Amino acid sequence: MAAPCPLPPPDPQFVLRGTQSPVHALHFCEGRQAQGHPLLFSGSQSGLVHIWSLQMRRALTTLDGHGGQCVTWLQTLPQGHQLLSQGRDLKLCLWDLAEGRNAVVDSVPLESVGFCRSSILVQGQPRWMLAVPGKGSNEVQILEMPSKTSVCTLKPEADAKLGMPMCLRLWQADCSPRPLLLAGYEDGSVALWDVSEQKVCSRIACHEEPVMDLDFDSQKAKGISGSAGKALAVWRLDGQQALQVCGTHQLTNPGIAEVTIRPDRKILATAGWDHRIRVFHWRKMQPLAVLAFHSAAIQCVAFAADGLLAAGSKDQRISLWSLYPRA
Amino acid sequence: MAVFDTPEEAFGVLRPVCVQLTKTQTVENVEHLQTRLQAVSDSALQELQQYILFPLRFTLKTPGPKRERLIQSVVECLTFVLSSTCVKEQELLQELFSELSACLYSPSSQKPAAVSEELKLAVIQGLSTLMHSAYGDIILTFYEPSILPRLGFAVSLLLGLAEQEKSKQIKIAALKCLQVLLLQCECQDHPRSLDELEQKQLGDLFASFLPGISTTLTRVITGDFKQGHSIVVSSLKIFYKTVSFIMADEQLKRISKVQAKSAVEHRVAELMVHREADWVKNTGDKLTILIKKIIECVSVHPHWKVRLELVELVEDLLLKCSQSLVESAGPLLKALVGLVNDESPEVQAQCNKVLRHFADQKVVVGNKALADILSESLHSLATSLPRLMTSQDDQGKFSTLSLLLGYLKLLGPKINFVLNSVAHLQRLSKALIQVLELDVADIKIVEERRWNSDDLNASPKTSATQPWNHIQRRYFRFFTDERIFMLLRQVCQLLGYYGNLYLLVDHFMELYRQSVVYRKQAAMILNELVTGAAGLEVEDLHEKHIKTNPEELREIVTSILEEYTSQENWYLVTCIETEEMGEELMMEHPGLQAITSGEHTSQVTSFLAFSKPSPIVCSMNSNIWQICIQLEGIGQFAYALGKDFCLLLMSTLYPVLEKAGDQTLLISQVATSTMMDICHACGYDSLQHLINQNSDYLVNGISLNLRHLALHPHTPKVLEVMLRNSDANLLPLVADVVQDVLATLDQFYDKRAASFVSVLHALLAALAQWFPDTGNLRHLHEQSLGEEGSHLNQRPATLENSTTAEDIEQFLLNYLKEKDVADGNVSDFDNEEEEQPVPPKVEENDTHPDVEPPLPLQIQMAMDVMERCIHLLSDKNLQIRLKVLDVLDLCVVVLHSHKNQLLPLAHRAWPSLVHRLTRDAPLAVLRAFKVLRTLGSKCGDFLRSRFCKDVLPKLAGSLVTQAPISARAGPVYSHTLAFKLQLAVLQGLGPLCERLDLGEGDLNKVADACLIYLSAKQPVKLQEAARSVFLHLMKVDPDSTWFLLIELYCPTQFTPPHPSLHPVQLRGASRQQNPYMANVLRLLKELQ
Repeated sequence: MAAPCPLPPPDPQFVLRGTQSPVHALHFCEGRQAQGHPLLFSGSQSGLVHIWSLQMRRALTTLDGHGGQCVTWLQTLPQGHQLLSQGRDLKLCLWDLAEGRNAVVDSVPLESVGFCRSSILVQGQPRWMLAVPGKGSNEVQILEMPSKTSVCTLKPEADAKLGMPMCLRLWQADCSPRPLLLAGYEDGSVALWDVSEQKVCSRIACHEEPVMDLDFDSQKAKGISGSAGKALAVWRLDGQQALQVCGTHQLTNPGIAEVTIRPDRKILATAGWDHRIRVFHWRKMQPLAVLAFHSAAIQCVAFAADGLLAAGSKDQRISLWSLYPRA
Repeated sequence: MAVFDTPEEAFGVLRPVCVQLTKTQTVENVEHLQTRLQAVSDSALQELQQYILFPLRFTLKTPGPKRERLIQSVVECLTFVLSSTCVKEQELLQELFSELSACLYSPSSQKPAAVSEELKLAVIQGLSTLMHSAYGDIILTFYEPSILPRLGFAVSLLLGLAEQEKSKQIKIAALKCLQVLLLQCECQDHPRSLDELEQKQLGDLFASFLPGISTTLTRVITGDFKQGHSIVVSSLKIFYKTVSFIMADEQLKRISKVQAKSAVEHRVAELMVHREADWVKNTGDKLTILIKKIIECVSVHPHWKVRLELVELVEDLLLKCSQSLVESAGPLLKALVGLVNDESPEVQAQCNKVLRHFADQKVVVGNKALADILSESLHSLATSLPRLMTSQDDQGKFSTLSLLLGYLKLLGPKINFVLNSVAHLQRLSKALIQVLELDVADIKIVEERRWNSDDLNASPKTSATQPWNHIQRRYFRFFTDERIFMLLRQVCQLLGYYGNLYLLVDHFMELYRQSVVYRKQAAMILNELVTGAAGLEVEDLHEKHIKTNPEELREIVTSILEEYTSQENWYLVTCIETEEMGEELMMEHPGLQAITSGEHTSQVTSFLAFSKPSPIVCSMNSNIWQICIQLEGIGQFAYALGKDFCLLLMSTLYPVLEKAGDQTLLISQVATSTMMDICHACGYDSLQHLINQNSDYLVNGISLNLRHLALHPHTPKVLEVMLRNSDANLLPLVADVVQDVLATLDQFYDKRAASFVSVLHALLAALAQWFPDTGNLRHLHEQSLGEEGSHLNQRPATLENSTTAEDIEQFLLNYLKEKDVADGNVSDFDNEEEEQPVPPKVEENDTHPDVEPPLPLQIQMAMDVMERCIHLLSDKNLQIRLKVLDVLDLCVVVLHSHKNQLLPLAHRAWPSLVHRLTRDAPLAVLRAFKVLRTLGSKCGDFLRSRFCKDVLPKLAGSLVTQAPISARAGPVYSHTLAFKLQLAVLQGLGPLCERLDLGEGDLNKVADACLIYLSAKQPVKLQEAARSVFLHLMKVDPDSTWFLLIELYCPTQFTPPHPSLHPVQLRGASRQQNPYMANVLRLLKELQ
């Protein structure tokens, strides 16, 4: 994949403008709703969610449901025409986007004003599980949707001093039906929770600084986390459900806002506070490219199913990159 | 006149005249009879027909020489009788026929007798009337074999008349008569159509005349165009009617092999023709020769009715004689196809109708379907096309291409049979490419530059809906006739419409890539192929044809566009970079530095003006055309795709806009009209709308290309064009790109400053226009009023003529009070209120002094730009310095309302500006002075001390030293830079002094420097400007100005109002002839 002679880093394929506010969340939608024309959702600091047509390369509509407060997380449900948006107005909205509608059909009140993004796990239609930061500063709340019934609250032991949860990832191993949650904490540690038993299976302190984001490859049972510090940590889950640090990757500049593994698990991208996107080979953790385009901190990165990379930045732009396109 | 209804009455009246006529055969008697006849009713006449005819026929039959006049009147009278009656007996018919024909018989020669034209006409009409008057079936019995010799005689007689007579009337009459004789009359009087047997008999009879009729008529038809179209039309009609009757397949297939023994005498039997196979073949061959001749001649006949008749001919012959005339089928069809594109709509319509009719019939000619014949013809035409295109003249090319077009139209989707053959496609494309070669020797195209930068304001409403109506006129190497070009376009469009578009596009794209020699032509063809494929203008003869689907068409267009706008096809050298070279030339011009020298009219002469059309020019010219064709293509694609084109805007609009900003006039014009086409296709009202709505695409292109400026040197131009053609709504969208531009400028200060400065200029000009400052407007208004200087309202009391003692007293008191105030003893304020300066406009931003609200975007931008200007002011390139001064000027205007931001920047810019004002080239001084004036009007206080210290002495000094030169100079002086500089300074000083509120000492400096210019020896314009300075000074300090002027020239002696006062002695009073007189007097008048 890597050419013997390093090529100059590519330009963005396209740049989306017009959010008029820093971009905090990105999410590609490729469900049936997109009908072959993929859509990109972006959440901005001004509380708007923009829906971009990647064919037209411009915003189709904007959703205004967070009272001007920053939108921090966006996620579509698998069937495609329902969108979840988390805002700092302590609300998580469920939007119905089918057939041109764009109305909030449901909302979940949140109780934490932190930076922590939520996570979902779809087990079977129509039920799905949602993990949100809980009422207590160190708690994570698990809800069953769409009934909004609280399943449990994951609260670390009193003496752990993990601090606030910073990032969440619900998942489920192929072999077992038990939902698991990976959470990164303010103290720099990553913990694996068994949701049904409400206990921490394993915990590793892999960062000095708060963990900003993590992503997990359930096939390889391997994950990566980025922090406010200068390092990326790669860790693995062994058979006994114990987390082990595989290695760390030092960065020149501190601060990773988001880390995302491409759906084909070949490469991963990080959103850097240093205005740069870094691309790594996921298996070897070999740096592949440093993409410089933005003029302010990058807040989020997302991959589309076809490999297109989107990055949203504080400079109010969203850049789209076609990296190592698969033939 | 009485009408005699009963035969008895009529007989009574007619008998005497008939008897009289029989006795003495004179014209008078015949006329007498005819007048009587007119009073007789038709029925009565019918009864008496034989009786009346007798004396007339008797007259004709009387042997011996007869006077022509008599015969004529007899024939006319006979005609009259026949027209009102029927001939009911076969014998009478035959006899009358023979008697009438004999009137023109001259026994001595084969030709018609040499008789008067009137007689000929009368006889022809008589014959014609006779044939019409034959009653019912009588007419058929008339055509029996025994009549053959007499009929033959009449036919040849009439043919002779039609061919050889001079009179058009006779010719037409003869032809009409012939038509009647051959039973092809079109009038209503012939009651029934013939049955098969009758047709066959008649056919057998007429077959004898066929050679004569066909050859003679062919001679008439192919005769001089000048003989009039009606003769040719009639001849054509008789020709095809006769031929199609005699050679009708229907009849021929019934002819038995052996000739039936007929019961006619031997002599007549010899004349009879048996139409068996051999005869048909021979006759067919001979007719083919004649038909070819006719087609050749008639298809180019200037009159459309003739060509229309040809269409009828083809239809008739092909429908009725497809077997017998199998050899002629080819030429006939070809004629028809050639007329499909006739210039006359009637002919076209008829052609199409006939062709459609043929297409509906399965078999057309000789067991072959029309389509087969046509594709064979197309094959052979394609084969010979390249040769024809090189060898033929314009007219020949026109008809060949018309023919090609016709084949394409008729074949419709079936042209793919031809296109699928590689050899034929190659031949076809070779011919097209060859004939479309452009003449690129025109030097003007390379030279014409776009100076006027804001010409993109045209509205698309004015442009036509079809892109090719405003296509650029172009010149071809191998033809000049515009119609040929139109035909070629139609040919290509039809190919695109019916042909396999993928195949064709691939083929021509290949040619496009293959060689620069083919590129332009291939692009033209591709453009038309796509237009045709959309099928918007094509009239379809084949209703069932399915058009290329829009999705596919868009894909094809996308791939063509990619090729068009690729680096190597879009960024061609179209000019020697005159801009840059021009600037360097300017730099090296030493003469420009001298402020006093009179020769500053140096201009950058075009390099190209000196050169002959060199290979370089030709290739640049060719490049320009290529770009234009590609641009036009984009317009056509937009037209073809309509709203679907919107999806391509993201990749297309940027390159088009880039070309709209091109230096070459032609390119920018074509690009503009392309944008108009795009507006039209995608439903935008105006270019502005188009740009605004798609600014996101454009901005994206700009920002990405700025990252590789070396590769995309024209990027700043696009932003420039955008800014020029948009409005304030654009600003937030381009904000980040402006930042990118500035950042890039910071990287490339040395290399590419020129193009960036012009973007900055466009940006600031746009800002100044989009955010007009109300205060600024008010100020400008005042300034203009001030410069006119006509209204001075502060009139000092001292100057009134009737000065009384009280006035003087009051003045003295006021003076003392003011002196008191000046000394600091401020006791009351009521007098000061007027002097309070106008309170500065309350700025909204200052309401919260603690929290600095974010600055408006335009202010932030202007600040960023001004920052750069400070650095660029000292650029070594004069052109850049001048541009930067303009930008600076605009920055000041925009920042005017934000003093807190403006003043620090102005402070930093000041030293550099002073440098421009005092030590730069005159052009720069001029611009710098303009900036100074703007700056003075915006922030007076800030500038006062700086101006007085750094600039005023220098300016005053230069005015003083320059004055004697301008005083001596001739009329040419007003064209020099030095003059312009003087004028600008004089015009600007007044408002500046007023705005800056200069102190007395500085005002004196200004006044001293300007006084000299009040002299009548100075050029008039300078005097005017100097007067304006004093008008401003009067506003600031009227008294001292008055005194100064009086010192210069005093018109009146001042007598003291009271004898106790000393008389005033003024220096100005002493001089009699004074050069300052006129101006001082005018100024004093203003003061009063």
